[in-house]
Amino acid sequence: MEAYIAQGMHGLAYGMVLFLVASGLTLVLGMMGVLNMAHVNFFMLSAYLGYQVVAWTGSFWLALLIAPLLTAGAGILMERFLLKKVHAFGPMAELILTMGVAFIISDGVKAVWGTQNLPLSPPGSLSVLVNIAGVQYPAYRLFLIGLAVAILLLMALVLYKTRLGMIVRAAVADAGMVDALGINVPLVFMTVFGAGTWMAGVAGVAIAPILTVSPGLAAQMGMDAFIVIIVGGFGSLGGAFLVAILCGLLSAFGVQFLPQYASVLLFVFMAVVLAIKPEGLFGEKES
Amino acid sequence: MNILETRSLSHNFDGLRVLTDVNLNVLQGEKHAIIGPNGAGKTTLFNIITGTYTPSQGKIFFKDKDITGLGPCNIQRRGMGRSFQITSTFDRLNAFQNIRLAVLSNRKIRFNFLRFVDKMTDVSLETIDILKRLNLFDDRHFPAGVLSYGKHRCLEIGMALATNPDLVMLDEPAAGMSAEETHTAVELIQRLTEGKTMVIIEHDMDVVFKLADRITVLHHGTILATGTPEEIKANEQVQAAYLGRLEE
Amino acid sequence: MKRNLIWTLWAAGVAAVALFPHLFGVYYANALILFAVWALFAVSLNLLLGFTGLLSFGHAMYFGTGAYGAALALNHIKGLSIVPAVIIGMIAAVILALLIAPLVVRVSGTAFAMLHLAFAQLLYVLALKLRSITGGEDGISIYPRPDLNIFGLLRIEMNDQNFFYFAVIVIAAALSFLWFFTKTPFGQIMVGMRDNSKRIGYLGFKVTYTKAVVYAVSGGFAGLAGAIYALLQSLISTNDAYSMVVSVYPIMMVMLGGVLSYFGPIVGAAFFALIDEWIGSGQFQQLLLKLLSLLLPSSLAQRVSDFFQFEMILGLILVLVTLYWPLGLAGFIALQRMRWQMRRVSGGPQRSAT
Ligand SMILES: Nc1ncnc2c1ncn2[C@@H]1O[C@H](COP(=O)(O)OP(=O)(O)OP(=O)(O)O)[C@@H](O)[C@H]1O
Ligand SMILES: [Mg+2]
Repeated sequence: MEAYIAQGMHGLAYGMVLFLVASGLTLVLGMMGVLNMAHVNFFMLSAYLGYQVVAWTGSFWLALLIAPLLTAGAGILMERFLLKKVHAFGPMAELILTMGVAFIISDGVKAVWGTQNLPLSPPGSLSVLVNIAGVQYPAYRLFLIGLAVAILLLMALVLYKTRLGMIVRAAVADAGMVDALGINVPLVFMTVFGAGTWMAGVAGVAIAPILTVSPGLAAQMGMDAFIVIIVGGFGSLGGAFLVAILCGLLSAFGVQFLPQYASVLLFVFMAVVLAIKPEGLFGEKES
Repeated sequence: MNILETRSLSHNFDGLRVLTDVNLNVLQGEKHAIIGPNGAGKTTLFNIITGTYTPSQGKIFFKDKDITGLGPCNIQRRGMGRSFQITSTFDRLNAFQNIRLAVLSNRKIRFNFLRFVDKMTDVSLETIDILKRLNLFDDRHFPAGVLSYGKHRCLEIGMALATNPDLVMLDEPAAGMSAEETHTAVELIQRLTEGKTMVIIEHDMDVVFKLADRITVLHHGTILATGTPEEIKANEQVQAAYLGRLEE
Repeated sequence: MKRNLIWTLWAAGVAAVALFPHLFGVYYANALILFAVWALFAVSLNLLLGFTGLLSFGHAMYFGTGAYGAALALNHIKGLSIVPAVIIGMIAAVILALLIAPLVVRVSGTAFAMLHLAFAQLLYVLALKLRSITGGEDGISIYPRPDLNIFGLLRIEMNDQNFFYFAVIVIAAALSFLWFFTKTPFGQIMVGMRDNSKRIGYLGFKVTYTKAVVYAVSGGFAGLAGAIYALLQSLISTNDAYSMVVSVYPIMMVMLGGVLSYFGPIVGAAFFALIDEWIGSGQFQQLLLKLLSLLLPSSLAQRVSDFFQFEMILGLILVLVTLYWPLGLAGFIALQRMRWQMRRVSGGPQRSAT
């Protein structure tokens, strides 16, 4: 029983982080129609930047603050100077472009930091075990869940309580709408893109103490994030949330019961959902 | 005899009622016009008849067979062709290739991987014949996307007609055309649909009265009246709702 | 007159290919086969991307399945000849395509691309895990290369030189078939679907079935390319078969050569083969280092040139090509030709102001 609870908490923590990554991806996709293949590479880049900040300053908190901001900056630069230029050539060109950026980041990271696993330890105050209902649980994971929830609440607040959020939601629902409203579209796009990469960046630094920093980080998170937005339905935040948590639990329990095939489990889940509903659980039908 | 019949057709878009209890009859061989103000639901009616949407309620009979819920492809194969209000051609293919696709459709050449399409002489000859009748022969090498507006519209209508359907449905064929272009297009439609059954949506009353044997007036998603042009002109309800406004 | 010229060119081409291994040796003969494999792979992808408007981000699935199909057949069936082995690889790819088709033919655009990314990754993970079948990271070897057995009448040993002829003939035949395929009535419907799949439906063509057929053909020929690749390398491993970069290779070739033309991707494959050779042999790094040493102190120059590994260059090419050369070489040529024609045809069609 205790093992279940511990695994469940693991799954929840991973699911939350997964959602942090996937929500940026799905917001950008829903709003701009661009699937950013480099999104998870930004996530990885941020983990490396975080590692570097810790190496220089020794402060995890500073890393958690600075690395995601730098990452968001890189994301914004990409949107401004690359994506926007190929927008006219259609979604295929945008996809291919972001794919190129993904390769550049992942090889760049290898060239700078090498290919070995780099450790990033959680701050001392959080590297203790706490007792919850008789189960010893690492405090850092609780902090991770708390952090993710806080960011989610912040995002929900912005999306549902501010003018910007209203515009973003309208744009996700109907891309033509924003143009019609005469809103400064490039600025909104840039903000959303920046916020999306920022969340991926936070996720990158936050999960680094658990997964260690390595060039495989992007691929590992990438597939899960893509599956989340495919299964959840393109552009659907609620769908992404539900599926991310499900995915987290599935992989946590999968590791426990089917260690060989845990990684395949998610794909099977995806195939089953798509066979029944090709547009994803909460996706809109393509007309 | 009815070639097309809708029985108490209703349709909602996410709760927004667009069509209510529409009973439309189209007789074999007639030219039937559908008129009505913007947003009356004319295009939606076309979309439902040609299989884009399944109606919320009601049934559609084509040649006495129930076609409710069939997709566009199956309905086309039963002999109904249509054109679109918003031009919808194959923009990177040239005019010749556009029409040729319709000719291939008419000849039911679908999964043929065994011959060069360019060497199917009979298909090419028929395509050229149609292009000439559409006055598009000289433009046959230009991609559809670069044709002038009038010619692009002609191609749109031509593709619907080239499939040689038993019933052709034209959605505002002259939309956006200049007076002169409209005149040519109307003559073209008259020529090409001789002896065929046609349903046409049109705003221009002159065109409607020139082309139509019978007229159906759609207003707020319901049929206001159906009858010959004379009957419609004389109908007070219609005048109040629609024609009166135009004659001011 | 023109006929004669074409025949002469044909004869010259055939003679050049026939003499190639004698003139340039095994190394370059194998390089030419590799180019031919990439060309077929790229053309099969372009059947979807350029001709049907569907971007597959996981075409390695079919390439890899063809490669594994042939390799496994050769490892498990004693005395199998090379032709059935290649055909088995191809059929394996077609079967996979037919299994996946029902899931992907209903979507297009980004969703189509994403699904392929995911399925390709699934196969990658599976191939890694099912070590007993696929040999995992080490892969499985094909040794010795099987003979060509023509109805038991004739046995031709597949030494490097004969394999060269075999591969070139098979791939040339496949490329010719695919070219023909795009010229059939079905090919027209396919192109129509790229431009406007809605209208294709209203013309009475079944969009889903049409897509499924193109998909299976594309997958099958990618599988053929994979099978020949496995035979060329005498080894196939998960990374060479199913990894993400393998899916990106043909996309890059198509982008370099041009999506809108049949032959563009073949030219793109040639570019790619050259770049690959240039980087793989280390010449590019050396050149870069030399150039950088002129500008920077040597330790820094070394560091900067280390930056430009294979995937980095792949990425840079993808970015630069999409930014500055979105229609590839073929598109560039077509554009120039169109300009020239437009200038000649006075008063070509112009959009009216409406
Ligand atoms: N796909 C859709 N989803 C939601 N509402 C729709 C959809 N299509 C049409 N409508 C609504 O249905 C109503 C009828 O539209 P329709 O296009 O059928 O009118 P119409 O008679 O063809 O007008 P027009 O003369 O402008 O072409 C309009 O209010 C329109 O906004
Ligand atoms: Mg309309």
